[in-house]
Amino acid sequence: MSDLSVSMSAAGGLPHAAVLPEAPPKVTVRNLNFYYGEHHALKNINLTLGANRVTAFIGPSGCGKSTLLRIFNRMYDLYPGQRATGQLMLDQTNILDPRLDLNLLRARVGMVFQKPTPFPMTIYENIAFGIRLYEKISKSEMDGRVEKALRGGALWNEVKDKLNASGLSLSGGQQQRLCIARTVAVRPEVILFDEPCSALDPISTAKVEELIQELSEDYTIAIVTHNMQQAARVSDKTAFMYLGELIEFDDTSKIFTSPTDRRTQDYITGRFG
Amino acid sequence: MAVQSDVIDDAGPYDRAKALSAFKLGDVTFYWITRLSAISVLLILGGIIISLIVGAFPAMKEYGLSFLWTQRWAPSADPPVLGALGPMYGTLVTSFIAMLIAIPVGLGIAIFLTELCPQWLRRPIGMAIELLAGIPSIIYGMWGFFVLGPFLANTFQPFMIKIFDGVPVLGAIFAGPPSYLSLFNAALILAIMVLPFITSISVDVFKTVPPVLKEAAYGVGCTTWEVVRSVVIPYTRVGVIGGVMLALGRALGETMAVTFIIGNSFRISSSIFAPGTTISAAIASEFAESDGLHQSGLILLGLLLFVLTFFVLAAARLMLMRLEKKAGN
Repeated sequence: MSDLSVSMSAAGGLPHAAVLPEAPPKVTVRNLNFYYGEHHALKNINLTLGANRVTAFIGPSGCGKSTLLRIFNRMYDLYPGQRATGQLMLDQTNILDPRLDLNLLRARVGMVFQKPTPFPMTIYENIAFGIRLYEKISKSEMDGRVEKALRGGALWNEVKDKLNASGLSLSGGQQQRLCIARTVAVRPEVILFDEPCSALDPISTAKVEELIQELSEDYTIAIVTHNMQQAARVSDKTAFMYLGELIEFDDTSKIFTSPTDRRTQDYITGRFG
Repeated sequence: MAVQSDVIDDAGPYDRAKALSAFKLGDVTFYWITRLSAISVLLILGGIIISLIVGAFPAMKEYGLSFLWTQRWAPSADPPVLGALGPMYGTLVTSFIAMLIAIPVGLGIAIFLTELCPQWLRRPIGMAIELLAGIPSIIYGMWGFFVLGPFLANTFQPFMIKIFDGVPVLGAIFAGPPSYLSLFNAALILAIMVLPFITSISVDVFKTVPPVLKEAAYGVGCTTWEVVRSVVIPYTRVGVIGGVMLALGRALGETMAVTFIIGNSFRISSSIFAPGTTISAAIASEFAESDGLHQSGLILLGLLLFVLTFFVLAAARLMLMRLEKKAGN
């Protein structure tokens, strides 16, 4: 255990100590079950994402953490045979309501993927594209919004002279920050990060992590990660999942120092996973 | 070589060097076979061009550049008067209309098949498209002559003629009388014939779009249409335009079906419901009975088709490069 605390302080310690007060719930998950066809992938999940907090989901591969994340914006709806039961409330809206307008939901719940996914267009258009889906604004206003989003993605200084270059011409880390900027540009309420740094080098990772912390001032954030130091660095709350079940959900500092469940302890100390 | 392999023979039972030298012979053979295959394409192409030029030379000497803008085609006059304007016009117009119809329909089918179609319907439609490509062009010609031509002349053509009667420009394009044999009928048959090229190539390239990219687009709140228009098509435009060019190449050169239903008239009319001819249809219908200057004129037509196709495809490639520049690559 002491090894872990040492490595965590070496990596920047715990920026969000347990001193943060309990946040009002932004997303509430109650008795959530999820099925891939016959396969029961998520079993009776209950948790809340606090408003303007970062919640990390950790657990071994295949434990269902990405699956859970993809329910928050109904991404699973694209694929036939996948279904969810239970209740998933975003403020007063039931996300699982089949009559829900998915496009509007996805404007409220943005997502950043494991691999950078810039659209095949210019850097400027990558940002403006999402904004145009919801708002009709003038060119000058759009310029302002694009700049603001790129600043929000900590990318403005690197790309301001080449806004008309292809989004694909950027480096991997820049592409990922472009995707974050694109997500922020639509002004969502919740941002989902699905292993956002797994394809990035350490320096880009540090930049993205810093960005996630800044974003938590304005957004509610859920992040899936394989990197436990990362979860410890960026999150306020951590959920440990194993074989489709939520094993433990608590303040990050508590999970990483004195977990109550034996399996959590085994996982964070590297005994399996 | 011998010395080396002796040394290795002593080293052990497995002679790696000898095995490698055997591979090397194979490599050299393979290299030359592939190289000769590639060169043979150039030789064949060059041979065709040269024989076309030789065959067309008498007509070139006789008519010069005026061949390009003479509309009259009177091979039995004395001396024969030959001009390529009619067939060139017909070739370009029929191909243009065909692409105008086939591109949206073909892309529409491809989008439906990859993005919207329920799984069980996918195979039947996909197979129908492939079968469409397998029908010999003579069958299309007969069908166009006996079924489609009369049908269009009795329904669609009178309808369009009536609607646009008196409208400037459009009135001239859709002018009467209705005809079984017309540029439009030929273009419609061409559209059906090239549809499978556009569709099957588009389906293949649409499938190469990474699912996560589409998810990202859905993730910012795009509808299916917006995902297709802004992500799938831009991502695959090189492949799609490749398919369109292949289709265009086929449309420009298609002979048999067009010869059946275009009417083989060398007169240029503003109406697309009037009979016309294309370069390949003109050659197909007259070559057997031609000789002397007439035959040379037909060969010159063939050479023109060659050049025309080259320029059209070059222009398409240029357009592709422009598009890419615009996208910031």
